[in-house]
Amino acid sequence: MGKRISRRSFIKGAAAAGVVLAAGSYFTWNGKNIPEAVKQGDAIYDVLIIGSGGAGMRAALAAAANKDLKVAVMTKLIPTRSASTMAQGGMNGVTGVTDPADTVESHAFDTIKGGDYLSDQDAVEFFAERAGKNIYEMDFMGYPYNRQSDGSFHQRKMGGSSHARAAYFEDRAGHAMVHTLFEQCLKNDIDFISECQMLEICREEGKLQGVIAMDMRSGNIMGIPAKTVLIATGGYGRAYWIRTSNPYSSTGDGIVAGMKLGIPFKDPEMVQFHPTGLAANGVLLSESSRAEGALLVNKNGERFMAKYAPAKMELATRDIVAQAIATEIEQGRGIGEGIHAGVYMDFTKIPPSRIQERLGQVYDLSRRFAGVDITKEPVLISPTCHYSMGGLEMTDFHTGATRIPAVFTAGECSCVSIHGANRLGANSLSEVLVFGHVAGDGAAAYAKEHAYEGSQDVLSGACSKWMDHFDSVTSRTRIEGRTVPEIRDAMVDTMWFKVGVFREEGQLQQASQELRALEQDYAHCYVGDSSHVYNTAFEQYVEVGNLLQISHAIVQGAIARKESRGGHSRRDYPKRDDVHFLKHTLIFQENGKYRTEYKNVVLTKYPPKERKY
Amino acid sequence: MDVTLEIHRFVEDRKWIQKYTLTVKTGMTVLEALTEIKEKQDPTLSFTCSCRSSICGACAVRVNGNAELACEMLVDKLMKRYDTNTLTVEPLGNFRVIRDLIVDWDPKYARIKKIKPALQPKAEFTAETGCKQSPEDFDKYKKYAGCILCGSCVSECNKNTLDQKDFLDPFVFVKAEKLVADSRERSPEEHLKAVVDAGLWRCFNCQECTAKCPKDLDPAGAIEKLKAATFKYKIEETVGAKHAKAIYEDIEESGTLDESKLNIKSEGLLMSALRAPMAFRLMKVGKLNPMDKHPVNPEISTIQKIVKTAEKEEE
Ligand SMILES: Cc1cc2nc3c(=O)[nH]c(=O)nc-3n(C[C@H](O)[C@H](O)[C@H](O)COP(=O)(O)OP(=O)(O)OC[C@H]3O[C@@H](n4cnc5c(N)ncnc54)[C@H](O)[C@@H]3O)c2cc1C
Ligand code: SF4
Ligand code: SF4
Ligand code: FES
Repeated sequence: MGKRISRRSFIKGAAAAGVVLAAGSYFTWNGKNIPEAVKQGDAIYDVLIIGSGGAGMRAALAAAANKDLKVAVMTKLIPTRSASTMAQGGMNGVTGVTDPADTVESHAFDTIKGGDYLSDQDAVEFFAERAGKNIYEMDFMGYPYNRQSDGSFHQRKMGGSSHARAAYFEDRAGHAMVHTLFEQCLKNDIDFISECQMLEICREEGKLQGVIAMDMRSGNIMGIPAKTVLIATGGYGRAYWIRTSNPYSSTGDGIVAGMKLGIPFKDPEMVQFHPTGLAANGVLLSESSRAEGALLVNKNGERFMAKYAPAKMELATRDIVAQAIATEIEQGRGIGEGIHAGVYMDFTKIPPSRIQERLGQVYDLSRRFAGVDITKEPVLISPTCHYSMGGLEMTDFHTGATRIPAVFTAGECSCVSIHGANRLGANSLSEVLVFGHVAGDGAAAYAKEHAYEGSQDVLSGACSKWMDHFDSVTSRTRIEGRTVPEIRDAMVDTMWFKVGVFREEGQLQQASQELRALEQDYAHCYVGDSSHVYNTAFEQYVEVGNLLQISHAIVQGAIARKESRGGHSRRDYPKRDDVHFLKHTLIFQENGKYRTEYKNVVLTKYPPKERKY
Repeated sequence: MDVTLEIHRFVEDRKWIQKYTLTVKTGMTVLEALTEIKEKQDPTLSFTCSCRSSICGACAVRVNGNAELACEMLVDKLMKRYDTNTLTVEPLGNFRVIRDLIVDWDPKYARIKKIKPALQPKAEFTAETGCKQSPEDFDKYKKYAGCILCGSCVSECNKNTLDQKDFLDPFVFVKAEKLVADSRERSPEEHLKAVVDAGLWRCFNCQECTAKCPKDLDPAGAIEKLKAATFKYKIEETVGAKHAKAIYEDIEESGTLDESKLNIKSEGLLMSALRAPMAFRLMKVGKLNPMDKHPVNPEISTIQKIVKTAEKEEE
């Protein structure tokens, strides 16, 4: 056992403690079965974090501040490759260093208004209070902030914000955050369980057992006992596959695992479409494009935002700008056809030196994927699915707790909710820091007070079940069914054209049926790779299965919400309806069926008003 | 237009080269080509990717012998560059291969840890009030904060190919220089000492890393800056001598170039190595004589020529 595990050297922390359990048959590094009984471990993780984005790593640092606790971060890639790495514009937080007139109330209000009043206002106040502190703290951890002349980090103004409050590193704010947190994790010797795909969170008879995961490298399916599990697996933008800015890994795995435990999926229909994805392939051109002064222009050369948001123009919130663009395209004022139709984003009024200094990534992406030099000509853009406001219901924003004891959540996979029906630019990086920290502390506190209640037999049983599943799924032949990518592409057609920027009852109902049919196909789909070593085909099979469930919840929530609010825009119910829908959707999954409940929005001192920009 | 990718496959101890042909679409990146093969032709082909916008570092592979970010490099651009319809795709060099194009990053973290990879802020700064830094000081290290840990730089690093044990990956030096050049850092010396111990002076200065970095971070330049910083911070006076010796030990090994796979592509590589004055003194007193000991290399005459020229320069 020693040898086999030492080869998975990045989980050596776990190996040293001997906590990695496995059941059934084993595969060596080379993928051959080892019919060797595996010794049972005697150590247990106090806090097992799933996901190494900003939320997961911040949580790990918080939890590991308790030196006597065993903490680990699991990720299906290597630690620095997440959605967090891709964030561009910045992270919000009131410090007043660039704009002394900024206040915490203003940040809270912008967030609530931006969220179209679906945010829980107590949570937003808590968030706004803490967000600024995080910016200073990251400075102390070594975040490479762009600076202003007094030596402070500089803050820029993002869409929907009334003040300049987003601190940043060039146009790679998230990349810098992830690498800074990773440095801190290395310094603090945090255990990473890298390249392991969480398959299931195991809880039986009211007791949390631990996590079932596949070590990608050996194909071993492991049961890892844990006192608490913190789900930080990021969003579900890949439900829209190529029409998303999200990385391939944003497949909602943690949300599905959480739903299986009985945690409701809150506000799943609230998906944000970012207005400025490259028309060519959905890749995001940063929010800071508009912040730095890029203009949106239709086929007739008109700055059309004047019609939709006369005061804020291009700097209106994402949902409003995305809907404006979609409307322009629909009404024939776009350029191009079908899924690649778009409008122009024009940077030519911005000095090239400033483009080079602040928008280097935008410049590179446009050049490569669209063949356009933005200092000279405009680039074609259209909306792209960008952010998942919905997520696992967090029941206590002071601890990151869910309604299931010992299971915590933070980051994009959670719904606190602070973003409501629409997230403001640069609020998500701050969210992952604020609530990553909170949830890390919360899980640690829980772990200190509770003993491990699970049993290794239960974990072993779950492992065997997954192993059998792996074998049966990967040994299917082509004749039996459609391939995983075929099913995924069909799902995306459904989601993009029927559950996209605009929605409508008939189409949503149809989408629901189509998804049901796809679930049937999925049940005997073709995976096509039976190797145990780094089987990305099986990994994708699991992910697409999760996305189908996520999509179902999105559609269910969208059908039930008969109003338009934030990212959810119904053609047949174009108005916000505070009388009936100042409520969160809660989708429960029980035996493959979805059930909807509602929960009132928490209001404090910001009464719902019409949202105008 | 069609392209044929000859992909180096490796699955469970089996190694082979597999050819796939597909139609090149406008704007098709190497990653898109790989994805199309996996989805339409062969689901067993394995590689990693995440962001597909050249920021996460997951997709670096070697195409025709050069490391590239698959999600960034356009297929038709490569076909033009090499004037061919056939491209060879391999995993990165200087990594252990797990499967197909997927390589093992584990040992790399241990190597990053060697340089104490986190900022140690000066005493006047706190977590509550943050730090101060002028925009000019920010400019001194900001480039190096752009490393995406893609591994392209180490793929062709000659020193790493020769021996990884007494040296680091170029990106680790990039991180070290980021910390050393950061005015918020309390103790650049600590990172520097760690870097020197981990082999700073053993770099061949062959510039392969700089040529390969998709983010133009110039790791070789970072290494030069670190070397300069050792003088500024007076890290170990005798280090020059030590480094010269270290280089010579490597050249001694490179007398058996074929085995070690160290390829003298450019004379510059040896020239820069031999430029170290101390090394010549050692050579003159006969303590080091790489050529005589290993007269097996067919390139030996080239090496001798270079050494002669270098000696002249020394005089
Ligand atoms: C292109 C882009 C630009 C953005 N720009 C900004 C911005 O400027 N400002 C801002 O505030 N926000 C921005 N965002 C949003 C922000 O980046 C994300 O919302 C946020 O980083 C989410 O962080 P997270 O830690 O919750 O999840 P992620 O960063 O998505 O991390 C999820 C982690 O979970 C792991 N994981 C997932 N499933 C599994 C599994 N089954 N098993 C094991 N591990 C798993 C993943 O590997 C990953 O490590 C942007 C997002 C994108 C895509
Ligand atoms: S310059 Fe040094 S670090 Fe860079 S590739 Fe050459 S030997 Fe390696
Ligand atoms: S230095 Fe450049 S090539 Fe090396 S890992 Fe960093 S970004 Fe990649
Ligand atoms: S996929 Fe992220 S760098 Fe290429």
